[in-house]
Amino acid sequence: MNTATSYDKQIIENDDPMENPDFKTVGTTTVSDPAMTCRGVNVFYADKQAIFDVSIDVGKNEVLSMIGPSGCGKSTLLRCLNRMNDTIDICKVEGEIKLEGENIYEQNLDVVLLRARVGMVFQKPNPFPKSVYDNVAYGVNLHGLATDKAHLDELVEKSLTNAGLWNEVKDRLHQPGTGLSGGQQQRLCIARAIAISPEIILMDEPCSALDPIATAKIEELIDELSKQYSICIVTHSMQQAARVSQRTAYFHLGKLIEVGPTDDIFTNPVHKLTEGYITGRFG
Amino acid sequence: MTTQSEGHIFKRFDKEMQQLHALVLQMGELAADQLQQSLKTLENEDPQTAQQVIENDARLNALDIQADEEITTMIAKRQPMAKDLREIIAVSKIVAELERSGDEARKIAGLTIRFFQPEDNHPPGEEILRDIFSLSEYVAEMLILSMKAFDTLNLSIAAEVLIKGQKLDGQLDSCLRRLSTFIMQDSRNIGHFIDIVLGIRALERFGGHATNIAGHIVFIKNGTDVRHVGDSAILASIKENQS
Repeated sequence: MNTATSYDKQIIENDDPMENPDFKTVGTTTVSDPAMTCRGVNVFYADKQAIFDVSIDVGKNEVLSMIGPSGCGKSTLLRCLNRMNDTIDICKVEGEIKLEGENIYEQNLDVVLLRARVGMVFQKPNPFPKSVYDNVAYGVNLHGLATDKAHLDELVEKSLTNAGLWNEVKDRLHQPGTGLSGGQQQRLCIARAIAISPEIILMDEPCSALDPIATAKIEELIDELSKQYSICIVTHSMQQAARVSQRTAYFHLGKLIEVGPTDDIFTNPVHKLTEGYITGRFG
Repeated sequence: MTTQSEGHIFKRFDKEMQQLHALVLQMGELAADQLQQSLKTLENEDPQTAQQVIENDARLNALDIQADEEITTMIAKRQPMAKDLREIIAVSKIVAELERSGDEARKIAGLTIRFFQPEDNHPPGEEILRDIFSLSEYVAEMLILSMKAFDTLNLSIAAEVLIKGQKLDGQLDSCLRRLSTFIMQDSRNIGHFIDIVLGIRALERFGGHATNIAGHIVFIKNGTDVRHVGDSAILASIKENQS
């Protein structure tokens, strides 16, 4: 909410980002303590440009939500943050994305290691066709993070506990992960991501396949996890963005229109497009 | 290209907002009318009609409850955001201001009942009541303007109300000064003094509610909370935004 001393608020009505080549994102894109920084990011799928000159920071221990209509580029940008777009041949990423000051698009960077530092949770829960235990232990073993079996047990238990799942699965650790409910599977995927101690967790619409109760559990978990990790979440639910994040970024047709504290974006957005989208006057 | 559209995707939402808007205007009209009717009873020395005016306040109370119910339902069903959220929150406060305005108007009708009972052999003279009439006209104008500002979300009109609100304190002081003179002139007026001061105070509150409504309109428009800051700062900001 704006303070009582600022009266200069005016909705930006006529700055159409598609018409104006010099369009600048409204709001402060940088934070004082960033975990990840994006500067002048452009993304192309063959000849088609999907992201236009986006600069934004993900702060340490903050939840940043990215919202916008379908096709606005929010998921594309999210997937750039751990080079998931590398799997698409025609995809080309320009600009600079740094994790703790280190360019993640460096030629000799180990992408497997990058994805351990920047974990990802997808829209549809995708546990491995293995036991609950093995789902979590897989990444730990892959990266050689456990010294012995006891240590591995401890890491698995800790990750499942932090993902709010331990009490529900401790008696069925060796049953298939795919046998859990949708919400439990999603929390299993989160446990799998946090088992390897990432710095950032990317979430691509993590609740869109879940019922409201499972969604509430994930949201509560996001809140808990933000004490230890930086989280960047793409969501179609504006209420979810409003509930879980500290900062919100609004995208429109590949451009970052407005970014700011979530409390301001949802009560008093500055750009007309942001206001139109979040109040449901859009079409 | 996808752009902002005029109306809400849920047409029903726009309709509900319009209904709420109309309800506020209806309450504003009723509160202004209640003040007008109260004054008429004072002018006509008519305690019977004054009783009727007091009973009519129930209509305003009923609309207050109806508006509150509609607001609660809209928040629960629609989860409004941004401008819509600000408007709903502000409307909920404006509705409360209007209901209280009605209570203040009722107090003026109460004066008629106290002053003009058949057994009372010394009702207050026209002169001593003059301030009540002049102040009423002033605050009624404030309410009408604030409703006009709300109807069109017009900040210039809201600013007009805020300026009038600033001058209200001065008006109150001069009313009290004049009243003291009348008491000194004729000590039989002492009995009416307290009632008239309370009446003037009620009118000052009536004007205060209109000023608050103007503040809520600034909140809807600008998203800034202008309560508890100096009126001159608010006015300066509004002028800045207007230019």
